[in-house]
Amino acid sequence: MTAEAAAPTRTASPVAVIDMGSSAIRLAVAEVAPDGSVRVLDRASRSVFLGKDTFATGRISAPTMEAAVRACEGFRRIMDEYKVSRCRAVATAAVREAANRDVVLDRIRLRTGLAVEVIDGSEETRLTYTAVRGALGSHEALTSGTTLLVEVGGGSADVSFLRSGEPVFSGTYPLGALRMRQTLASWRGTHARRVRLLRRHIHGVVQEVKRGMPLSEATHFVALGGDVRFAAGRLAEEGAGPGPARSIPKEVFIRFSDEVAERTDEQIVEAYGLPLVEAETLVPALLAVRELLAETAAERVTVPEASLRDGLLLELVGAGGPRRAEDFTHQVLASAGALGEKYRYDAAHARKVADIAVRLFDGLVSEHGLPARDRLLLEVAALLHDIGVYIQHVGHHKHTHYILSVSDVFGLTREDMAVVANVARYHRRALPQRAHLPYVSLDRETRVRVNKLAALLRIANALDADHAQKLKDVRLVPEEDAWILEIEGAGDLTMERLATAARADLFVETFGKRIGFRETEPEA
Amino acid sequence: VSPRPKARPADPELFLDRERSWLAFNERVLEEAADPSTPLLERVKFATIVASNLDEFFMVRVAARKLAVREGTPEPSGLTPAQQLAGIAEAAHAQTRSLYATVHDALLPALAERGVRFLALGALEEERRAFFSRHFREQIFPALTPLAIDSSRPLPQLANLSLNLALLLAPAEGGEEPRLAVVQVPARLPRLLRSADGQGMEFVWVEDVIRAELGSLFPGQQILDSFGFRIARDASLELDGDDSGDFRETVETEVRKRRGRPVVRLEVDATASPSSVRLLAERLSVEQEEDVYPVPPPLDLRALQFLLELPALQDLRDPPWRPVPFPGLPDSADLFSVLEARDVLLHHPYDAFDPVVHFVEQAARDPDVLAIKQTLYRTSGDSRIVRALAEAAERGRQVTVLVELTARFDEESNIRWTRRLEEAGAHVIYGVRGFKTHAKLCLVVRRTEHGIRRYVHLGTGNYNERTARLYTDMGLLTADEDIGQDASAFFNALTGYADPPQMKKLCMAPTQLRQRFLDLIRREQRRAAAGETAEIRAKMNSLVDEEIVRALAEASAAGVRIRLNVRGICCLRPGTRKSAGRIEVVSVVDRFLEHARIYHFRNGGEEEVYLSSADWMPRNLDRRVELLFPVESPDCRRKVLRALDAMFLDTSKAHVLQPDGGYRRRKPAHGEDPVRAQTLLCEEAAKEPDRARAAAALVLQPLTTPPETARRA
Repeated sequence: MTAEAAAPTRTASPVAVIDMGSSAIRLAVAEVAPDGSVRVLDRASRSVFLGKDTFATGRISAPTMEAAVRACEGFRRIMDEYKVSRCRAVATAAVREAANRDVVLDRIRLRTGLAVEVIDGSEETRLTYTAVRGALGSHEALTSGTTLLVEVGGGSADVSFLRSGEPVFSGTYPLGALRMRQTLASWRGTHARRVRLLRRHIHGVVQEVKRGMPLSEATHFVALGGDVRFAAGRLAEEGAGPGPARSIPKEVFIRFSDEVAERTDEQIVEAYGLPLVEAETLVPALLAVRELLAETAAERVTVPEASLRDGLLLELVGAGGPRRAEDFTHQVLASAGALGEKYRYDAAHARKVADIAVRLFDGLVSEHGLPARDRLLLEVAALLHDIGVYIQHVGHHKHTHYILSVSDVFGLTREDMAVVANVARYHRRALPQRAHLPYVSLDRETRVRVNKLAALLRIANALDADHAQKLKDVRLVPEEDAWILEIEGAGDLTMERLATAARADLFVETFGKRIGFRETEPEA
Repeated sequence: VSPRPKARPADPELFLDRERSWLAFNERVLEEAADPSTPLLERVKFATIVASNLDEFFMVRVAARKLAVREGTPEPSGLTPAQQLAGIAEAAHAQTRSLYATVHDALLPALAERGVRFLALGALEEERRAFFSRHFREQIFPALTPLAIDSSRPLPQLANLSLNLALLLAPAEGGEEPRLAVVQVPARLPRLLRSADGQGMEFVWVEDVIRAELGSLFPGQQILDSFGFRIARDASLELDGDDSGDFRETVETEVRKRRGRPVVRLEVDATASPSSVRLLAERLSVEQEEDVYPVPPPLDLRALQFLLELPALQDLRDPPWRPVPFPGLPDSADLFSVLEARDVLLHHPYDAFDPVVHFVEQAARDPDVLAIKQTLYRTSGDSRIVRALAEAAERGRQVTVLVELTARFDEESNIRWTRRLEEAGAHVIYGVRGFKTHAKLCLVVRRTEHGIRRYVHLGTGNYNERTARLYTDMGLLTADEDIGQDASAFFNALTGYADPPQMKKLCMAPTQLRQRFLDLIRREQRRAAAGETAEIRAKMNSLVDEEIVRALAEASAAGVRIRLNVRGICCLRPGTRKSAGRIEVVSVVDRFLEHARIYHFRNGGEEEVYLSSADWMPRNLDRRVELLFPVESPDCRRKVLRALDAMFLDTSKAHVLQPDGGYRRRKPAHGEDPVRAQTLLCEEAAKEPDRARAAAALVLQPLTTPPETARRA
């Protein structure tokens, strides 16, 4: 033991995470062991049917709100007992989609002091991915394999397609178990008929997933969620406790799902001793997983002991405080690249523009004052600025905007994507203006960010105007009334020079200085 | 909660009647009272237990059966409530006769030989009688409230289990019928009065003193007849029948003042005239003749309890057992560091209860302790544990106490100590709605340099220092991580902060315990069916649960060897047909009340040993919060299994259940000495510290220089 370790230093105070899902609010309290590993001290869960309200009526009713507040009060007491120092509380679809969500969250904050943060589907996906990475570690599904990662939640299903552990496609799909269940309940007819309709709905959505990602290439299948964990508990070998991950042969899982689907809720309660609320979502959830599984080449389903909360914990205790998408730069760019591939982008041009753009971003930090996260958004916008060409060259910047505003890039939230889509849209032609609805719907601060980033993107794009990657390097040199681009290139840069002059408009407007263009001789 | 199984047809071949089984248990206690080889005062103690057990039985079980007559649903044993009641009456009358025969023919004469006598007033000298007459006027008379009962006045609200005198008065002027009057013997008067000054051991009964002076209570009236009587009322709503064999405390604190419920038993002096008794029974709305129990005075044998405390008679008791300090755990031991190294299993009363008290006391004083959480079921306020919890709260620890009180409303002392805990800053929870919290669990959360650690005590018996000397119970002290997490989750659920959790090692009723027991039994069954050796051994207070009995019978039919040690009620009928043929049921009734619940499953050689607060009764599995916990460390497990072995080896205080529901005392084989399990365990415990000391003293010291002798040689 070293001298420092022998000193009476204590492990840091425990941390806590809370997750407000569609059918329960859950808590995990953990501490970081001296070796850096996360040790969960306490888990607690409280059934609160937020989703039942939101998905049916669009609002959270007063009794449900009260139940949510009470659950948070109890959790607050548990946290106090551990003298928890930091807590991150998040809410997903059931709160996110509730029209009165601000009231709900305000009530919770006033009564418990907990500031609950609403996260979107893509952040859920990212957190889940973090948790799975934590639980599965060097499992083949996360290293060399091609993997489909599926979490069926109450409101929707998050699906990610991983290559060598990197998410390249991801999306949120209308396969939420509770939501499907509520739709199901409104259908008339026998149980068998309703299940048929449910299967048809799921099949339709899975076909859509298939258009977004090459499901058949996946050789691993990782599934999360309470319903799947229940199935894994039933199907795993007798005596096998909940290890880090349980694995079930594909055909066993499919057979079990089909069996369960034949039972009504009451029969499920009877047969498996499940509470009715859990029985209700079992069939939709298992059938959704089953359909996705059937489309892949995976031979087994892997069910890790991982949840959104584990992802939150891993981020919360990560060195230096909360980790955000910065740490996922790699995955974000891989996912952006995959989106570009899908729309057959000019990868070399995209990469070149992205490189120049971040170079400009770094050189102008003192000028724009934007955080590192915006650098990543700029890079994604630069990579994808031309994908609208896939639809039509004319007005392709508008097509780009449209595609990006409905696409998912792993690790980026909807707000992030709104920035990316706008920045990409302004890579050419018209400058941001009041008449552009998607632009004016951003808040003021975000519009300023878009202007700054788009100004850089316009220059960067101009510097590869010929799509020939003639430019070797660029440096920014400040002068009295201008920023001088010192260009090191190979070949004729006339096109680029002209384009830069034409696209400097937004830069001048935004940064108040002219852009100069100076070619330097490659040093001999 | 898992869905309840549907009602199944009665099966008398498999099920014994629960009430008859209970009476058979009380019969075994009575046998101890009758056993001449038992020290005299212990016999007296057993007699008083039999009497108070019967009181409770009538108030709870008989009362419930009487209500059930209207429904008429047959029991698993196939009997209808009416048939049950008829059988109960027959057996209870016989048992009462037998109890009084033991008292009058054996115990009182034997006490008389030691100078303890109960005298009739007439046997006293004139001067002494005058003394009692004066005593009556000065001390007793002011406390009496004579009540005349006739058809025009409502029935007086006689207190449950109180002693009363009934008088038959001559008809009033103009009337024809004799009149009935009642004098309650106030409960706060001493029941026995010394016949002479000083410390003599001759006594007179207070009711005799009152009877001699009845004329002064009803001046000018002609008293035709007078006799003592006592009633038991329906108290089935207040009591659900606890698991202790001795019900005195509960009854005295809770039920004394409940009046007005139907009378389920009327005890009268056997000397009373039948017509007077009939009149009284009528007035008390006692409908069935069989509910009247004539007994030779004295009524209410619980009065004999005071003899147990007389210093002059202590040689007539079992030599006092001094619980042995647990080896390696002196009072000064830092329990938390001990528990970091090993688990500690305590078997009370062989092992002292002190480590459990120290556990809470140390937690209270340790500045690194964050929280202490504990269940308290029927604890008295003066206990050291309660004091330690209050101290902990005062010192700023988070203290959560879940108390389950006997008397919720009028027990002042309960209110006082729970309020003290609250004032100290503890979070006190008064039970969980709809379920009694019967689990015995204490959790200490503590910060260490290795992070947060949890230490847990789990037990089969209450946190009660007094009963820990009288009941056999087991407790486990452990720092096992999974058990600690489960314990936290358990309290989160009980305090209402979270839903009942999925646990790793513990198992909780009413949510999962029933299913868990069934799974464990069926696992043995599967192993037996696969040709493996399969065995279940279980020790508990009562076996009543229908589903468990059926599961045991099925397992037995599949070839599982099943040996049960059931102290009290056992509804499983052994040996009647193939299925239950291999099930052996033994009951041990001895000096200490057998109370530990132990469940042992062979599991193909990977044995599993569990302790629990729960019996195999629907009450425990469905209507209470209970815990089952595994004993995993090899040392602890060995200790539990050795104790369990002893219970099956007993050949002096063990009784074997017969197919007809009767019990046969187990005798040693020819030429062998009888084995008495409790004595055996006392001896082992007494030896244990020696062994531990010997082990601790053995230190191997390497010699770094040649020994003297070697050098000299």
